Amino acid sequence: MWDQQFEATLRKHLPYLGDDEELSGGAELRDLGLDSMGTVELLSDLEKTYGLRFVDDALNLETFATPDTLWSALSGLRAANA
Amino acid sequence: METEDRSGAAIVFPGMGAMSFEDVGKFMLVNPYARKLLATADEVLGYSVIDGFRDAEHDYAEASQVAFLINCLALAQWAEAQLGLDPMLCAGPSFGSKATTAYTGCLSVEDTVLMSARIARCQDEYFAKEHTDIVTHSFVRTPTERLTEILGEMDERDWWHDMACYVDDDMHMVSLREDALEWFKERVRGAGGLSLYTMRPPLHSSAFAALRRKAEEEVFAGLSFADPRIPVVSDHDGTLLRTGDQIRNLLLDGIVRQLRWPLVVDTLRAQGVGTVHVAGPDSLFGRVRRTTDNFEVVRLTPRMALRPRAAADRT
Repeated sequence: MWDQQFEATLRKHLPYLGDDEELSGGAELRDLGLDSMGTVELLSDLEKTYGLRFVDDALNLETFATPDTLWSALSGLRAANA
Repeated sequence: METEDRSGAAIVFPGMGAMSFEDVGKFMLVNPYARKLLATADEVLGYSVIDGFRDAEHDYAEASQVAFLINCLALAQWAEAQLGLDPMLCAGPSFGSKATTAYTGCLSVEDTVLMSARIARCQDEYFAKEHTDIVTHSFVRTPTERLTEILGEMDERDWWHDMACYVDDDMHMVSLREDALEWFKERVRGAGGLSLYTMRPPLHSSAFAALRRKAEEEVFAGLSFADPRIPVVSDHDGTLLRTGDQIRNLLLDGIVRQLRWPLVVDTLRAQGVGTVHVAGPDSLFGRVRRTTDNFEVVRLTPRMALRPRAAADRT
């Protein structure tokens, strides 16, 4: 399961997700309001928050499909940077 | 020469992006400005624009284009009445040049609707037969210098390409053949960039000169353009346009000339603009750093106009 920082960062970019609504791992982020520019902004926010840079296969819109796919990619990058 | 006074306001009509009926349908049906414009468009075109938009099979169908135009104009009219919007300059990157034409009074709403619908048909006919293998690809986080290297590699391979849009310092759109797309995406990713979306039909290339001629003959022949009531900033080179002929050329040249949003930003700044009001369902121009770093951005959206007591979204 992801950490609180991840969820807090992600929620800032999901205009259609209410504060009291649960964020499920398989939720389609596009349906929650994450559009192309939102994806770019989220990418930048995550890089600042975790002090890393998305590269290679992680640089793909599929990475940003759901919280699970995004967390998985982020975890891989963190492990590679550890 | 740049002025110190940045108290001016400009209105920007966005380029067209995918717009869902769920996001804007209610606004179009309840907002009095949108309803009046819809009635005008229905009368001119002889069909229900809202029905055509709702049932459209793709994002850039004729009815969807007219619906986008109506949304932009309705939001501008609403902002003038409700927020006291009184811009000194107008800009309309890409598709936004059509709303610019009506807003500044170069053409009536009726003629602008008809022109927009006819251009859509003209494009559909043209791209059904011509350049059937060309797409326009957008991507971000790829600085111009790195992009130049990638395009240089394409030149070495004798692969056709053309810059379509300079959107931000590190955001671009390039037209290329579809069979080179996967290679191109790999190179963008290798440069640390992120591919966003790929469009068909393609946009803004000198390769489409025949489409410009077709549109001039079939769509623009009977249209007479008045001078704009406020100056318009060209999205091709940032110059200020003050005559009807220049607006006519702006529309036609949009088929064959690159879009250069950073030059529009430079001109707005130099003219003393500090606030830009983006009128329409914008997902791009009001949000890129070039815009947000240089201006207070007021995003005039259908969602905002539906609020009981409207207040501007300021970013």
